[in-house]
Amino acid sequence: MGESTQFANPAVYVIEGLLVFFILYKIFSARRGRSLFVRRIPGLSSLDEAVGRATEMGRPMLFAPGIGGLSIVGLQALAILSHVIRRAAKYGTRVIVPTADPLLYTIAEEVAKDAYAAEGVPEQFIADDVRYLSDSQFAWASGVVGILHREKVATALYFGYFAAESLILSENGQMVGAIQIAGTPMTTQIPFFLASCDYTIIGDEYYAASAYLSKEPTLLGSLVGQDYGKLTMVAIIVFGLICMTLQANFPHLPGISSLQTWFLKFFPTG
Amino acid sequence: MHHNKHLFWSWLAQPRHGWELLAFIAGAVVLGMAVLAFLTTVPQRYRKFLVAGITFLAGLYLSLEFFIPPDPSTQENFLTKGLPTLSSIEMVVGSFALLLGVWNLVHMHGKIVLKLGKGWYNSAAFFISLISIMILGFLRDARVFGTAEMFNVLFSGFMLSLQATTFSLIAFYIVSAAYRAFRIRSAEAALMMIAATIVMLALVPVGAIITSWIPETGFWSAFRIERIGYWILTSPNMSVQRAIAFGIAVGALATGLRIWLSLERGSFFDRQL
Repeated sequence: MGESTQFANPAVYVIEGLLVFFILYKIFSARRGRSLFVRRIPGLSSLDEAVGRATEMGRPMLFAPGIGGLSIVGLQALAILSHVIRRAAKYGTRVIVPTADPLLYTIAEEVAKDAYAAEGVPEQFIADDVRYLSDSQFAWASGVVGILHREKVATALYFGYFAAESLILSENGQMVGAIQIAGTPMTTQIPFFLASCDYTIIGDEYYAASAYLSKEPTLLGSLVGQDYGKLTMVAIIVFGLICMTLQANFPHLPGISSLQTWFLKFFPTG
Repeated sequence: MHHNKHLFWSWLAQPRHGWELLAFIAGAVVLGMAVLAFLTTVPQRYRKFLVAGITFLAGLYLSLEFFIPPDPSTQENFLTKGLPTLSSIEMVVGSFALLLGVWNLVHMHGKIVLKLGKGWYNSAAFFISLISIMILGFLRDARVFGTAEMFNVLFSGFMLSLQATTFSLIAFYIVSAAYRAFRIRSAEAALMMIAATIVMLALVPVGAIITSWIPETGFWSAFRIERIGYWILTSPNMSVQRAIAFGIAVGALATGLRIWLSLERGSFFDRQL
């Protein structure tokens, strides 16, 4: 439900519009063939190493898409899953996908089928490898831990929405000696993953993962558009900072009070 | 005409009981099956447009509902009334998916039990749990004597206790994770170790005692351990958290836009669409 207090502020519409414009503009310009640079993300660069290790050891990989449902976070996890399966399919390595949400499970199954087919090995798809375990947080976590130990997983990937179970999963991954890569937009869980995983993807790198792995122009364009959006926000922050600092230190500077009032009208504090 | 339409919807939304309720459930299932059967017959080349069209319309509705300023007296705009219907549709689709999820579990564990494969007793425990809590749940709702207590034993006695046990394991895992994180292997790890030590000391009385000789006011008070700990949490830590939150928000917006406008490429359903 929209809230009048929040959306009576025109700045919200303007900034939202600007962000959408940057993202769409960069997507379409990338589609026209402009080459775009993306910096190296160690956690994603090591994906081939992780797949290779599982292949060498002859053990399966595990991809846990978290306890979230069908949301942007969940869909992004499935996009990453698709790329992981494509890479694993090249070497005939199994990828086990335990899910906690029935909607996500059905889509994950289709994504896995599609990824194997895209690599030309549809026969590698094993229906039982994409599993629905439980929608209960700790029942799901216990199920994933069981799979980690029983299957002696060589590589564990955690991408999606995670809560308190993050440490249970990653510490058990450590126990079985799995190489672990994690990525989540949940800032509260990032420290746990940092402490117990080999590589952790932080913040918006999570949303950059599919672009980084596929090098698809549409996704790369979107990534550059996001950076322009962030630059806009930084510019607003710096402008506000200058306004506030000048007002606090030089209150008699002509126009500074009205500039500060104007800024606070659109970007109120607290 | 409009009045008749309104009457139809209010008749449809009325609560049902007994045989009427069963008839409505059966009707909804048949209708759902018919819609699913129709969707599977849609030729491959039209599926892209169907999926993209439904995604776009649903996204457009939700974003307009969110962005159109509501009436201050009701806190609703003209689209808000449709939200419960949309959420019911999502729930119905979710219920069908839940059936598929349960079928996946039954299929997988059924195979293990039938072949008496490795750990078959765990799979048997799954069937016993699933069937017993389902039957007791139905009997409890029908108010059969004694079943509410039995259901409670299964739910509170078993399930909640097992969940609490799993949750409490985190305490042990934190120790091993902290040990690994605090091993000083690089300059960054050393910095994190120092910051974590200060923050931890700042939160316990013994930390305050260490620097209690520093005056509580004036320039030097900034060097008291609780002040340094508070500064670490509210200045460097908070600014980094906010920077990450900005990045995540913009990333989510971009991913949402790509999915809404069906611009997502190379990730999923390329072959099917």
